[in-house]
Amino acid sequence: MLSIGLRYCGGCNPRIDRPKIVRDLKEGLEKQGLGVSFFTDRRKAFDVLLLINGCMHACSEQEYLRADQDVKMISVKGEMVDDSYIQEKDIPAYLIDKITRIMSPY
Amino acid sequence: MMTGKDYIESLRALNPEIYFLGHKIKSIVDEPMFQPHIHAAAMTYELAHDPEHEEIMAATSHLTGEKINRFTHVHQSIDDLVKKVRAMRLLGQKTATCFQRCVGLDGLCAVYVTAYDIDQKYGTNYHERFNNYLREVQKHDWMPAGAMTDARGDRSLRPSKQVHPDVYLRIKERLEDGIIVRGAKTHITGAINSHEIITMPTRTMTEDDRDYALSFAIPVDTRGVTFVFSRQTNDTRRLDGTIDAGNPKYGIVGGEALIIFNDVFVPWERVFMAGEYDFTTQLVETFAGYHRSNYGGCKVGLADVVIGGSAWVAETHGIGRASHIVDKLTEMIAMAETCWSCTLACSYEGYRTPSGAYHINPLLANVVKLNITRMVYEWMRLAQDIAGGKIITLPSELDLANPEEGKMIEECFYGKEGIPPMDIIKMLRLVENMSVGAGLPEAMHGAGSPAAQKIMIARRGGFERKVDLAKQIAGLTKDTHFERIIGKDEETHWKEVRTKTKEKRVQIS
Repeated sequence: MLSIGLRYCGGCNPRIDRPKIVRDLKEGLEKQGLGVSFFTDRRKAFDVLLLINGCMHACSEQEYLRADQDVKMISVKGEMVDDSYIQEKDIPAYLIDKITRIMSPY
Repeated sequence: MMTGKDYIESLRALNPEIYFLGHKIKSIVDEPMFQPHIHAAAMTYELAHDPEHEEIMAATSHLTGEKINRFTHVHQSIDDLVKKVRAMRLLGQKTATCFQRCVGLDGLCAVYVTAYDIDQKYGTNYHERFNNYLREVQKHDWMPAGAMTDARGDRSLRPSKQVHPDVYLRIKERLEDGIIVRGAKTHITGAINSHEIITMPTRTMTEDDRDYALSFAIPVDTRGVTFVFSRQTNDTRRLDGTIDAGNPKYGIVGGEALIIFNDVFVPWERVFMAGEYDFTTQLVETFAGYHRSNYGGCKVGLADVVIGGSAWVAETHGIGRASHIVDKLTEMIAMAETCWSCTLACSYEGYRTPSGAYHINPLLANVVKLNITRMVYEWMRLAQDIAGGKIITLPSELDLANPEEGKMIEECFYGKEGIPPMDIIKMLRLVENMSVGAGLPEAMHGAGSPAAQKIMIARRGGFERKVDLAKQIAGLTKDTHFERIIGKDEETHWKEVRTKTKEKRVQIS
């Protein structure tokens, strides 16, 4: 079972529907029978950190991009995922693909 | 890094073909008509050496680690974006005009970002070529003129369908070692006193316009390149003396020029886009975003000067404390600081692109520029209001210098005791220069006209989400947070409220 720490930005003026992306992602993973658990409790340890930012400014990245942080991270930031431009409708599928690749050693 | 003086001397080594007022110009450095523009651009060099300003005027190259002029630096952080607009305001304050060099900077940044993305899609090596070019720009501290706007001909026709094909710059021929380009770029700021030209497409191109999807950089004195310098309001006053021009040191606006490319050879190593029409929108929008954000810096710097000039004129005429004057000056400050807030916001709200370079928030950048198209006119209107009719009726400096009438004229311009009338005249000329001249339409059309900003704002404004927000508040869609606050679903809640109201169990009757 892969554990994903889920962090949202504050959502002041999102350009994407953040909860819908997470909903579609969870449904998609479930359909594929992939064992993934999501939690937002910041005290719990995780395998992968998934940041869901409403826009490309990516407020939630600031905490995790510091040099002393060593975390496996996927950052959704508006219509971008990490360093790729992805349309909103394609983001869940793109994330499923990324997570599947990460899960291959599990 | 070059100093201001080094920059001016460096222009002597170039031999661009320039025409103005029907004459071919032999040396731009020695031509009085061009002096103010050259001095304004020189300020971008000079301030980078001043310990008081180097924090924002200089940067560290991400390519070499060397200290470089900020105008050759590709933004690597939010801090870089913020420092850039701070530099813009500072330079506006120091020159009271356009210092021209930001266009090339924005061209460098926009091509850097786009070339990277083209390479990711097509496996080209534009980004590597561009980095090699950028190293040269930084090493020599060049000023490239950013050349985007084509002549455009019939705007209802695509570039490839124009009757006169030269109204858009295009690839005429592809050779083994480079391309031959032909066409024109219009009203290009700082073009004649730049070292290089960096071109970009002016609009979205389609497959038929493949040859117009083009970006490259060449030296200004490349064979086949001709500049025709544009006229400006009252430009020949520069030849009359030192007062009537208003800002004889730095001039009016940027010194724009028409650039004609007459079968110009560009080697491949200087080509950064050649046919990738599907990236033209990105390049245009990236450049426009960077450039529109600048206007909340430079024009606010100009506002600082014209507000100061207006306040001084009022004070020297004995009305500095009059309530209507204080009110107008306060309005001017509030508008200027509104634009400044907007440009800071669009920088602080910037983001990292896949190339690693940082870009501003495009929606806010367009709002910056749209505000500028309105507010510059308004604060300059107030400057005219405060300065009074003298700014359009002052006698010429030739009359002031005339021994027969000069002294008598001067006496007509006395204000408060102890203020030399010639000082008052000089300040009125400065206000005239800034509020009546070509600077106003430049604020309107530079970096794109208001319609262009509105297209971008409409595209990025997020109408759908705003509709969703309204629907939720109006009770048309589920409001989860409200239901959590009341501890039940909305339907039950409102049913209970209606019952209470009916039974008069409410506290307010």
